[in-house]
Amino acid sequence: MKKWQYEPAQDLDQRLIERLRNFPREPDMLIYGLRSLVALIIRGLLRTYCRFEIIGNEHVRSNRSFVLVANHSSHLDTVCLLAALRLRQLHRAFPAAAADYFFKSVPRTWIATVVVNALPFARQTHVRQSLAICGELLANAGNVLIIFPEGTRSANGELQEFKSGIGALLAGRDIPVLPCFLDGAWRAWPKGKRLPRPRKVRLIIGAPRNYAAMPPEKGASSAIAADLRDAVKQLAEQHAGR
Amino acid sequence: MSPHHALHDPIFLAYVRIIFVALAGGGIVLGILHWGLKKELGAIWSTYWSWLVLAPIGMAVIFAGRVPTIIGVTLLAAFGFKEFARASGLYRDWWMTGTVYAGIATVGAASLMPHPRGEEPGTGWYAFFVAVPVFAIALILLVPILRNRARGELQRMSLGIVGFVYIGWMFGHLGFLANAMNAYGYLLYVIFATELNDVAAFTFGRLFGRHPLRSEISPKKTWEGALGALAVSMVLPWLLRFSFPEFGPWQLILTGLIIGIGGQLGDLSISVIKRDIGTKDMGALIPGHGGILDRIDSLIYVAPLFLHMAGYYHELR
Repeated sequence: MKKWQYEPAQDLDQRLIERLRNFPREPDMLIYGLRSLVALIIRGLLRTYCRFEIIGNEHVRSNRSFVLVANHSSHLDTVCLLAALRLRQLHRAFPAAAADYFFKSVPRTWIATVVVNALPFARQTHVRQSLAICGELLANAGNVLIIFPEGTRSANGELQEFKSGIGALLAGRDIPVLPCFLDGAWRAWPKGKRLPRPRKVRLIIGAPRNYAAMPPEKGASSAIAADLRDAVKQLAEQHAGR
Repeated sequence: MSPHHALHDPIFLAYVRIIFVALAGGGIVLGILHWGLKKELGAIWSTYWSWLVLAPIGMAVIFAGRVPTIIGVTLLAAFGFKEFARASGLYRDWWMTGTVYAGIATVGAASLMPHPRGEEPGTGWYAFFVAVPVFAIALILLVPILRNRARGELQRMSLGIVGFVYIGWMFGHLGFLANAMNAYGYLLYVIFATELNDVAAFTFGRLFGRHPLRSEISPKKTWEGALGALAVSMVLPWLLRFSFPEFGPWQLILTGLIIGIGGQLGDLSISVIKRDIGTKDMGALIPGHGGILDRIDSLIYVAPLFLHMAGYYHELR
């Protein structure tokens, strides 16, 4: 008889925390099912507790890879953006999350990997490598990358400057990028509060932009970052007070 | 089984004391070896610390009642199978693993629900519980047909069937024990005695081990360890006879044999799987123990044998 070929997972003898930190991941059914279930519960909670509303939902109905870029002022932001995606897209959607914050302790890392499917982004130490991983993800079709170019949650809810890394990622790449504006997330769950409050949250998704025509040369990165920031700001102004 | 019953059940309360004394005694012995006799214990400490965490969790789940116990056993089976699937590579086949997970959930459901027409006494649907493998194996064999695939499918079906029957269904018997009239006695004795049997095998092996038990499968296990553990397991039913007042001498002997021999065989059968795949442990979830499967391997073998032995001589429910 010919020998059976086993292909064990690479991370068998690693400790839980190391296994969770691995990227790219090799998920199995159980993780997939758990993530879908939690996503449905979160969507239900957002609808009722935060009267969550999505405007411009049609822009995410794409089978191509794309990037979602949004203002960042709350832990609610990521779950709101994920709630705008179809369940099928969820497992191929990667919110870039600060490795120094979300991938430290076991519980946080577990939530970041299993529930959010976050991409560990080393914003302080290895920005270049982290961007390279993002680039690889976008090179394959059907992946969704979620990036908050402000780099951290805004303490006062105001839109901060966008870091130029987002520009370096997008310059010269034929990848659609959707500017998004999250309204109310800061009031519902600002930085430093333990639990969210029942405030209305809206997500406004703008039309896709593309920076394939911008060659990746000096100055392009910050120009793209500034352009995206204007786009988010515009969305905010268009939908202000409605 | 419920928290209220547990608080008033002499068997449950006795086991709380027994486990406390066993853990404390183990700690004292290790402490004397380490600080008194200056022995190098190494990984044994982390094994012991893990016991200090696992034992209260197990007791808390049984204390919480029948439903939490069955759900807990079902979850352990699911995560045990997950380890098996990751070690063998089956986890990449989501159809097959999904089918096995569904089978494991069905085993749990059959343990939880009563007979639909009320034809069985008490809780749990025994007739369906013992018939689940028929349906699960039929479904597993259906997967390649539905997908119109043949290449490599025999291996996947075989891994799926072994995974379901061995880890899902046989281990699921532990959950079904929660339906027994004497649930506390059966569950607590089986778990305590099986784990003690493991510890005894390890201890006797470390102290007197010379002759390898199965050199091709698990080089560290010895005849001395296995026989020492068997001796402990043969005496224990008499010492803890209050756990099953309905048992006569013959049943006590059988209980000792099932745990003393079955415990070793369960351990060895997981070793065969690991050896063939070429991994050391099934995972690294529990420090000093390995994966979930490395911890529950003996129970997988013991639980169904004990249930059917007890059910043969006495009304289970």
